[in-house]
Amino acid sequence: METVTHYTAYRPRPFRREEREKVTILFGGLTWKHERLVQGALHNLNYKAEPLPNVSRADLDVGKELIDVGACCPTIFTTGNLISFLKSKVQDHGRDYVVDRYAFLTAGACGPCRFGQYHESYTMALDGLGLRDFRLFLLDQNQLDQGAANGGGLEINLPFTAGIIWAILCGDLLTDLEYMTRPYEVHPGETERVLRDSVEYLYEVFRNRPIRGKKWRVLAWHLLSDYFTGALRRVKKMWETIEVDRLQPKPKVKITGEFWLQTHEGDGNYNIKRWLEQEGAEIIPPPIAVWLDYLLRSNIQKLEDKREVDKRAGRKVALVRTLQRVYRGTYNRLRRALGNLPYELPNQDELRRLAAPYFHNRLAGGEGDMLVGKALYAYHHKKAHMICELSPYSCMPNTMSIGAMANVLGQYPDLLYAPIEIKGDAEVHALSRCQMILTEAKKRVQQEFDEALAKTGLTIEAIRRYEERHPELRRATYRVPHRGYPGTATNYVIHIAERMGKM
Amino acid sequence: MPIPILERWFVRRPSVDRPPEKDRSHIRVGIPRVLNMWSTHQFWIGFLKALGIQYIVFSSETSEEQYREFGKGRGTVDCCYPVKCMSGHYGELIFGQKKKIDILLSPMIYSLPSFLRGHVVDTVACPRVMAAPENIKSGFLKEGDVFAQQGITYVSPFVSLGQPYLVPKQLYQSLKDVLDLDEEETREAVKAGYEALERFNRKMRAQSRQILTWCAQENRPCIMVLARPYHMDSGIGHEIEVNVQTHGYPILWVQYFPIDDDLMDWLFGQEIRAGRIRSAFDISDVWTSSYSSNTNEILWGAKVAARCPWITCVIRLSSYECGMDQPTYTPTQKIVEATGTLYFKFGDLDATKPTGSIKIREETIVHYVEKYSHQIIRRKRALLPEPCPLL
Ligand code: SF4
Ligand code: SF4
Repeated sequence: METVTHYTAYRPRPFRREEREKVTILFGGLTWKHERLVQGALHNLNYKAEPLPNVSRADLDVGKELIDVGACCPTIFTTGNLISFLKSKVQDHGRDYVVDRYAFLTAGACGPCRFGQYHESYTMALDGLGLRDFRLFLLDQNQLDQGAANGGGLEINLPFTAGIIWAILCGDLLTDLEYMTRPYEVHPGETERVLRDSVEYLYEVFRNRPIRGKKWRVLAWHLLSDYFTGALRRVKKMWETIEVDRLQPKPKVKITGEFWLQTHEGDGNYNIKRWLEQEGAEIIPPPIAVWLDYLLRSNIQKLEDKREVDKRAGRKVALVRTLQRVYRGTYNRLRRALGNLPYELPNQDELRRLAAPYFHNRLAGGEGDMLVGKALYAYHHKKAHMICELSPYSCMPNTMSIGAMANVLGQYPDLLYAPIEIKGDAEVHALSRCQMILTEAKKRVQQEFDEALAKTGLTIEAIRRYEERHPELRRATYRVPHRGYPGTATNYVIHIAERMGKM
Repeated sequence: MPIPILERWFVRRPSVDRPPEKDRSHIRVGIPRVLNMWSTHQFWIGFLKALGIQYIVFSSETSEEQYREFGKGRGTVDCCYPVKCMSGHYGELIFGQKKKIDILLSPMIYSLPSFLRGHVVDTVACPRVMAAPENIKSGFLKEGDVFAQQGITYVSPFVSLGQPYLVPKQLYQSLKDVLDLDEEETREAVKAGYEALERFNRKMRAQSRQILTWCAQENRPCIMVLARPYHMDSGIGHEIEVNVQTHGYPILWVQYFPIDDDLMDWLFGQEIRAGRIRSAFDISDVWTSSYSSNTNEILWGAKVAARCPWITCVIRLSSYECGMDQPTYTPTQKIVEATGTLYFKFGDLDATKPTGSIKIREETIVHYVEKYSHQIIRRKRALLPEPCPLL
């Protein structure tokens, strides 16, 4: 009988326990801050770990060359990014060294859109490069304890997962501080310097994390110990040194969009966050913590559907709800350590309720109903002047919620919404679209600021004089309460008026 | 000699006749003939008929004229044509009926009752497919509620057809007010819907088996179409396979390939016994992220096509900017070509039928099928054990 070699999907070679000391685990897809802290958590577990260099424009071309045409830009960028790195290492050390000494860890297994299929593109690119025996592992974001898969070199257990989650949460909190401080810093570059110092300090905190017990005891320790809150209190002290001038009316722009694109800071999204800041905006960055909260909510929703057919569903719902409360409580505890400066996580039930008339909560893929929910949340709670939604060209779920937003805008015509399609190589077009809406947002913040001055009877000079007598007001860590306006400067004016007894 | 051909895909005839419990015979329900309605329409007909609904109107097959006349200006975002064209279908149901419909039913189908269920990670729909109704409806709401203005009730139940035990509750909750339902009759109607769908699928698979048997007995090649169900729509798939069929090559669609035990064992038994796969419907050897129902079926179809001797050629249809198909292009081609089976891809299908390029490709396909089929059949036949259940 004749024989044939059928096509087979990629399967990684085992990564054995004894290889751990020589194999560097590569990872990426977050911001440099998150990545450095994740690196600390992995070093703490004695893994050699290294984030990939930040995505660059050139990665787009490298990715396009190696994967099938028509991919969404996050897939192309991240594939190109991995491949560029591997190529350069092959050039320096040769192919065998690279396949022996590196492995790549990526998130995956999350369902219907390409996010769950990124690795198919990675493996295709590896094939194209003749690196099929390079090892690539998936971190299932729905499973905290996947055990020692694929030879035991990589143990995805609770110390591992908890380390990554806490690193992500701390990365989010620092990112909030960064974006709320930099636009108002008096001495240019100070935020950046303190941010870098804080990240390095927290890196050490993660690297020296004591691992107490196994499995659930580890989790309990993370939840209860003041190890991380203590560290964050020290971080707050570092930020106290930064002087800010909040009397600058700047439009607040909330960034939403596809997970990778909204999180990313760099060429992959035309550096749009920096660009907006340079154009005079204050950014509300999208925390990854919201996504994790959403995953918990999605699980609750799925279980709720099963209530009548699965007797245990009710109990499971209660369990996940408790988990969600604990999760949100943890985030708040960490926030508190930073003087409650970072933003609160939006309530998932509220996001769901707000989005419901426009987008069903069970529609899966991408950010689901959250894009509609977040836009309306910011609008109703007056958290931002404008929503900038980063949408990858040809993204499947994102296009659907952008479509649904047409209905939202029909009902809320004054909601400033800029859906920006990101292809990776059409910067001018994207930024000029954003610029148009930003111009309107600038007008609004100025108007709101002028109104606040008029309402309080304050003048800039009077506030300046008051600040001189109360220098703590000009510290980056001074918390200005939200007084019903999106703009920081406006809330600041109202707050000063309150302090002065004028309101 | 005439070749056997499959029946029309979209059968309007009622599949079940059950006495209605409440009189709903006056209600006219319009359903857009789009997306996964192409593989589940029998469920909906069976379900509605069981509730005593007599008038079920499907919009016509997709066409540029339909979009121009009924959908223009209603689009809210640029995306793949199978979704974009839905505005035309909605518009036709709202404005293009001689007798007005009362209800526009556009389900958000979250998961599908695929024959691969249980062998794959999941059988969910593409994120665009499931969310398309939310997207399209907004074009009819953004400047005032067109449905209300036209006296039409718009209903869009979220439904997990892949998990039948969830469906009665989902449909009851979303349709109870519109159709005055009670839980029991909803459960019964859902059952009737699944039965109708099952009956239809069985019939189509039996027809496909007849075609395959004919090919085996005559030692004649046939062609397998690997595409999403809605590429059966003449305005989406542009009837590319129909043109090839006129040259005397029967067409099989992956969705209706026969899945009888004897045939499956013949095609996959050796690999199951060798421990390469767990069952004939296991695709983990070629595709590890098996979440998406239609994608899974396409990859399974590629495996079948690579093995089944008389399928000497695969035509892959894919819509322009299809994010689900994109990562599968190379694997599918490699799976098919591993056994020398011919593979032709039409990857950028859009609103306009690319008549010129279809003509040229069609000639190429026919030329290659004519020239190499016997060789391919012989080679693939030699890879499989005796006896063949088709002979
Ligand atoms: S959400 Fe969109 S951009 Fe992100 S992986 Fe999925 S399809 Fe691509
Ligand atoms: S499967 Fe492809 S063609 Fe179909 S709706 Fe999804 S993206 Fe569009």
